[in-house]
Amino acid sequence: MSLVGWLFAAALALCALAAIGGLVWPRSWVAGAGTVAAGLAAATAGVASVVGSRWSAWLPDVLPLAGVRLSIDPLAGLFMAVTGGVSVCVAVYGIGYARTPGHRLDSRGVQAAVPLFVGAMVLVPAAASVSTLLLAWELMALTSLLLVLAEHRRRAEVGRAGLWYAVMTHLGFAAILAGLALFAAGAAGESFDQLRAAELPPGLRNAVFVVTLAGFTSKAGIVPLHVWLPRAHPEAPSHVSALMSAAMVNMGCYGIVRVGLDLLGGGPAWWWLVVLAAGALSALYGILQAVVTSDLKRLLAYSTTENMGLVLVGVGAAGFFAASRAPALAGLALTAALLHVVNHAGFKTLLFLAAGSVLRATGARDLDALGGLRARMPHTTVLFAIGALCASALPPGNAFVSEWLLLQSLIRVSPLSGVAGAVTMPLAVAVIALSAGLAVATFVKAFGVGFLARPRGVGAERATESPPSMLAGMGLAAVACLALAVVPALALPAVGSAAAVAFPQTPPGLVSGAVTLALAGVRGVLSPLLIAGSLVVALVAVLGTVRLLAARRARRVARLWDCGAGPMSARMEYTATSFAEPLQRVFDDVLAPETDVDVTPARESAYLVERVAFHARVPDRVERRLYAPLLAAVDGVGRSVRGLANGSVHRYLAYGFYALIGMLVVLAVLR
Amino acid sequence: MPGLWRKIRKTGRVAEPAPARVPAEVPAAAAELAGSIQIRHVDAGSCNGCEVEIGSVFGPVYDGERYGVRLVASPRHADALLVTGPVTRNMEVALRRTFEAVSEPRLVVALGDCARGCGVFAGAYGVVGAVGDVVPVDVEVAGCPPEPTAIVAALRGLTGR
Repeated sequence: MSLVGWLFAAALALCALAAIGGLVWPRSWVAGAGTVAAGLAAATAGVASVVGSRWSAWLPDVLPLAGVRLSIDPLAGLFMAVTGGVSVCVAVYGIGYARTPGHRLDSRGVQAAVPLFVGAMVLVPAAASVSTLLLAWELMALTSLLLVLAEHRRRAEVGRAGLWYAVMTHLGFAAILAGLALFAAGAAGESFDQLRAAELPPGLRNAVFVVTLAGFTSKAGIVPLHVWLPRAHPEAPSHVSALMSAAMVNMGCYGIVRVGLDLLGGGPAWWWLVVLAAGALSALYGILQAVVTSDLKRLLAYSTTENMGLVLVGVGAAGFFAASRAPALAGLALTAALLHVVNHAGFKTLLFLAAGSVLRATGARDLDALGGLRARMPHTTVLFAIGALCASALPPGNAFVSEWLLLQSLIRVSPLSGVAGAVTMPLAVAVIALSAGLAVATFVKAFGVGFLARPRGVGAERATESPPSMLAGMGLAAVACLALAVVPALALPAVGSAAAVAFPQTPPGLVSGAVTLALAGVRGVLSPLLIAGSLVVALVAVLGTVRLLAARRARRVARLWDCGAGPMSARMEYTATSFAEPLQRVFDDVLAPETDVDVTPARESAYLVERVAFHARVPDRVERRLYAPLLAAVDGVGRSVRGLANGSVHRYLAYGFYALIGMLVVLAVLR
Repeated sequence: MPGLWRKIRKTGRVAEPAPARVPAEVPAAAAELAGSIQIRHVDAGSCNGCEVEIGSVFGPVYDGERYGVRLVASPRHADALLVTGPVTRNMEVALRRTFEAVSEPRLVVALGDCARGCGVFAGAYGVVGAVGDVVPVDVEVAGCPPEPTAIVAALRGLTGR
């Protein structure tokens, strides 16, 4: 057994130990320390496998019928390393966060479920057969569902969010199950090696791809299957949100890359145009919803939809370029997509953990009730600012590097890809540009309204800084983000070798250089380190000049201009809603916001108004227009067939009997 | 939109020809502003007669903006205050603060008889005094209300155009 195998086994064993420890001795540091160790082991295993050491195993006795088949190649290793890294930050943070008074997050169930969830997420990319993958997938879904429901006794919305999540994730599971079962039925067996070697008719290949794509995109939170994200993420405890949003949704992308590019070996161009279109739609829709929402965690959840959309744009472009025989571009696009997965994991961990600190200190997720945290929670403010900078895809953030790479691959579309490439790729560039711009607005809003100015609510006024373990967890994530932002060469070789699993024919060293990234195949250079350095120099120069000039000129201290009226109050501040209002008006036709004015007249006279209430909200349009009618229809069918089940045992036996007869008749006719 | 364009074309230019400037000395503070003055209007207790005339000054017929003066929405953007009405008790503090908010060099124009000496409101219980009693006044415009030509002439005295 190689080093990777030992480390992988150690990670799983530590997860199990931590879960047992959490059950037996529900102190938050017991499960936390175990999960940190497991995360470290998983991350090291991932890094080791990316560096070049492979490992695979067949354990026929662990499960009946098929056994467990495991294999860790660089692609699996990359996702395992990301999961491990996220788990370390989250577990360190969770030690302090679980002791939040009144949240009961240090209960046995939650303490045991976190390491199990981490273990399941480590297992998913290592699976090398259909049955193992499905088992790990289901374990991941169940443990995360338990964690989403952790606070169901405190808030009724948690139960509803859990129901949405359970239904969506299981529909996705059913789709993946159906698709992979079809695939395995067409191949000689169910191990990934046999699937790779299988020669399937094109119709079956299309069916396998489309059905598994539906399942995997529902996990990745891609529009229109994203509806569980903005419900489950805000209601789950924040460290669980971080795990789900930074590590679990990645598994959807992993599944698409593994099944579409690796097992099916790529496919016709239309597959990948569908992926690209779904990604572009998610990127735009997700960030548009994020920019208008005022709930901090809901905003982050929609931002996850946006970023997964960008990843899928990259994956779709990679598949499309491969189908149009441009291997260098395909490799570059997939590298960009996978690098964005890593970057997104970094900053989303940081942002969700910081949002958890804010929630813990103020009891509020609504940006319109926050503000003034800069003075009360200085460390959290700095950490959130780093996360927001990284998420807004501006230099010197880490998302800038991956989006730049993605844009490079899309702009350099080769003439070989024909009309489809000439039309879709420039459109995809426009989508990325628009979503990057809106992301800046979103995170300026989240940081400016949430942390600066004066507190808008009692909770924000009384906020205090988080305990050291929580700050340490966020600090780790922030350091990782900054390292990825300034020296992306740390992650690029790993990402490149992961991309080479999907495209073995790509030339190696597509993106090279330690300080200045140079692209092979297409011309392009980028030096994040020098950009960051020159930005710092420019900032210092501007501030110094301003200070120098200000010292020379005569100055007069004047009162803050308050329109000549009394002192200004926090109610006069810019709120998240008012900040987003111009954008909401611009995108009015897309977002379809709802406003409602309630006028309550006095009892004595209809002409005297006692109270006027104004409500404005931006509902998720996909949910309103697609899911609400669907749910109503399902509900109606359920109601109408209620007469069939009247409680009579005789009737049920008769149903069974007739069904059997019917089956036999059908079989007799068909055979 | 086409209706608007048609209206603009049909109406043409309605501004009256600019009368010759009465030669006068420009105050030192106004001279520093070099012929471009941003004005914040403050109603310190006016009956709105002066406001109607100010509206005409910046309307298409008298077109005050061609002489380098412009109305702005905040004293932070302004070089001069255009104060109308006697200063009432409720507006005294607000007027002082508005004056404080204007960056230097700054000017104050007292517009109308009420602003100059309380007019018919002199001695009323809610009146603190004329504008000159509250903030230093540089230019006064007489009249109840002053005619737009008089206001334009006073403002041209500040811009020197």
